[in-house]
Amino acid sequence: MIKIKQGSVGHWAIRLLWVAAVVAFVVYIPTKTTSSTVGDMTLAFEYAIAAMSLNLVLGYTGIISIGHSAFFGLGMYTTAILVTRYGWTQGWTFFVAAAITFVVGALVALPALRLKGIYLAVVTLALGVLFPTLVRWDKLEWLTEGPAGIDSVTYDDVPEWPILGELRGREGRAVFIYWLAVLLLVISYLVARGVVKSRVGRSLIAIRDNETAAAVMGVSRARTKTLVFGLSAAMCAIAGSLSATRLNLASPDIRNITLIGSITFLLIMVLGGAATMWGPIVGALVYVELDARTRKAGETGEGIIGKVFNDWLNIEGSPATLVLAILLLVLMFVAPFGVVGLLKRVVHRFVIILPRPAGHPIDEGHLLTTTEAAADVDGVPPEPDVNVFVADPSTTSGEPT
Amino acid sequence: MDRLFEALFLGLSAGATYGLVALALVVVYRGTGHLNFAQGEMGTLSAFMVWWFHDKGVPLLLAVLMGMVFGFLLGAVTEVTIIRPLARRSLLAVFVGTIALFLGINAYTTGVWGAPPDEVLDSLFPNDPDDFVRVFGTVWRYKDIGTLAVTLVITALLFVLFQKTRFGLAMRGVASNTDSARLVGIPTGRILAGSWAIAGALGALAAVLVAGNQGQVTPTLMVTVFTYATAAAVLGGLDSPGGAVIGGLLIGVGEALAAEFAPGWIGQDMKLGVALLAIFVVLLFKPSGLFGTAKVERV
Repeated sequence: MIKIKQGSVGHWAIRLLWVAAVVAFVVYIPTKTTSSTVGDMTLAFEYAIAAMSLNLVLGYTGIISIGHSAFFGLGMYTTAILVTRYGWTQGWTFFVAAAITFVVGALVALPALRLKGIYLAVVTLALGVLFPTLVRWDKLEWLTEGPAGIDSVTYDDVPEWPILGELRGREGRAVFIYWLAVLLLVISYLVARGVVKSRVGRSLIAIRDNETAAAVMGVSRARTKTLVFGLSAAMCAIAGSLSATRLNLASPDIRNITLIGSITFLLIMVLGGAATMWGPIVGALVYVELDARTRKAGETGEGIIGKVFNDWLNIEGSPATLVLAILLLVLMFVAPFGVVGLLKRVVHRFVIILPRPAGHPIDEGHLLTTTEAAADVDGVPPEPDVNVFVADPSTTSGEPT
Repeated sequence: MDRLFEALFLGLSAGATYGLVALALVVVYRGTGHLNFAQGEMGTLSAFMVWWFHDKGVPLLLAVLMGMVFGFLLGAVTEVTIIRPLARRSLLAVFVGTIALFLGINAYTTGVWGAPPDEVLDSLFPNDPDDFVRVFGTVWRYKDIGTLAVTLVITALLFVLFQKTRFGLAMRGVASNTDSARLVGIPTGRILAGSWAIAGALGALAAVLVAGNQGQVTPTLMVTVFTYATAAAVLGGLDSPGGAVIGGLLIGVGEALAAEFAPGWIGQDMKLGVALLAIFVVLLFKPSGLFGTAKVERV
C-alpha cells in the first residue's frame, strides 16, 4: 500500500504521467493510424461529450433524462440551419447552438423543480419522442426541410489542414474535424470538472443523495437544477453541432436524435462509470470499438458472437444492439460503477492519495483565547459576547419577550 | 355532428389500448414503485408468440390465451431475476435495467422478425368489411367496439381484484409499506412478482389488440402506443388504475378530435405532440396527475 499526499511531488508526477499518456494517445491517432480510425475516434469523442453532459444530470444530480437526444438534435439543426440558410461559418454556430439549447434545457427543467424520479423521466421521454416528430412536421418544413433533412452543411468550408501528420485532402479535413472534437471534448471536460469540483457540484451530489436534506441544508434546488440542466443541454448541443459538421448533414433519420440516441448516451455513461469524470470518455471509446466489432462479427457470422446470435438465436443482420443491451444489463449486476469505477477500486487497494486536511492548519504555539485574539486585531478590548441566535434586544423595539 | 361522434368513438377505441398498457404500468408502479420502460416491448414479444402459436395451427383465441400466459410468466421471471436484485441497489439501477430490457427485446424482435415476410395476425373480433353497426348514422366497427369492451371488462376485473380479494388487499399493503406488510406475514416477494406477471399478461393482451387493428405484428408495434400509455398513466396519476384508463381514453379522444378538426395543423403527424404537451402541462400544475395521490416524504 502506497500513500501519497495530495499536492506532493509524487502526486504531481502521477498527474504529469497521466496527462502525458493522454496527449500521446491523442497525437498518436492522426499521425500513425488510418483515416477510418480517425473517423471512429471523432465519433467516440462526440459520444463522450454527449455522455458527459448526461453524466452531469444523471450521474451527479440523479435527474433521470432520456431526452438528451433532443438537445443533441437541437444543436445539430441549429448548426445546419445557420450554415445553409444564413451562410454562417460553422465555428460561430456552436456558440449559438449552446446558447439556444441552454435556454431550452432550463425551460424543460421547470417541471423538474416539482417532479421527482420517474415522473421526470416521463417528461424527458416526451421530449425525446417529440423532437424527431417536430423536425418532420410539415409546418416546420420551411426551417427544417422535413423528412428529407438538410444536407451539404458546406463541408467544404472546413480546412483540409490536418495540423499534425501526413493525411491530406479529404482525409486531412477529417483529421481537422478530429482536432475540433478533441478541443471541444477538452473544453467540455474542463467545464464539467469545474462544475463538479465546485460548490455547485457539492450541492448536485447533495440533491442526488437526499433532496429533502439538501434543501434543508440551504441548497437552492430550483437554481441548482435549472443551471445544471441548462448547462448539460448546452453541452449535448455542442456534440450535436459537431455531428452536423462531421456528417455534413442534419436529418430526422440520424439515430442519435431519436430515443435510441438517448439510450446510447446512457449506455456509454453506465459503461464508463456514472458520476466519474473519465467515465464518459472511456465508455465512448469502449462503445465505439465494441460496436464496430460486433457489427463486423454479425456481418460475417464468424466468431463466438456470430455463432451465438446468428446461428442459435436466428438473428438476421447485425446483433450489435442486442449485444450492447445484454452488456448493459450484465454491467448493472457485475459493475454498476462502470469501467472507470472498477479501475478506481482496484487501484485504491494499492495507492491512496491522502487529501489535504480541510481548513487552515493550526499553529499550536500561537493558540490564543478568543478575547486575546479579538484584542490582537485592533488593540481594543472586545465587546461582550452577543449570541447570534438570539435577537438583539435593542432592535426588537420594546416588545415584551 | 356525425364527424364529432365518429371521431369520439374512434378516439375511445384507440384510447382503450393506451388505457390497457397504462393499466399495466400502474399495476407495476403500485406494486414496486418503478416505471417499466420495457412494458411495450414485452407486449410486442408476447404478440409475436401469439402469432407463432397461431402460425403453428393453434386457434386464435387459444393462441391469445397462451400469449397472455407467456406475458404473465415473462413478467414474473423479469421481476424475480432482474428487477428485484437491482431494486436493492437504487431506483436508477432499475431504470437502466428496464431501458436495457427495452433495447434488448426490440433488437431481438427486429433481428428475428424484422425482415419480410410480414407476420399477419387477424383481429380477435369479426373484421369483414360489413362487420359494423350504425349508431346515430356513424359507423362503429365490431373490432373497435370489441377493443373498448375488453378494456372496460378488464378494468372492472382489476377493480374487483384490487378491492375485493385477499391478493388485492395484500398488494395494497405492499404498495403502501413493504416492510410493514412483510412484518404482518404477507409474502411480499410473491406479491411483487404477481403484480409484474399481471402487468405482463395485460401488456400481451393490449399488444394483440393493437396488432389485430393493424393486421400484423411488427417489431415497432408498441413503441408509439407505449409513449401514449405513459402519457395516459401520468395524466391519470401513476398510482390510480381508474385514472390510467380515463387518462388513456382522454388522450385517445383528444388526439382523434385534434386530428379530425385541425388536420392542417395537427393531422396524423403531430397527434403525439398533443398528447405529450398535455402531460407536460398537467405535470406542471398537478405533479401527481389528475387522480393520483401526492407523495409525502418523511425525513
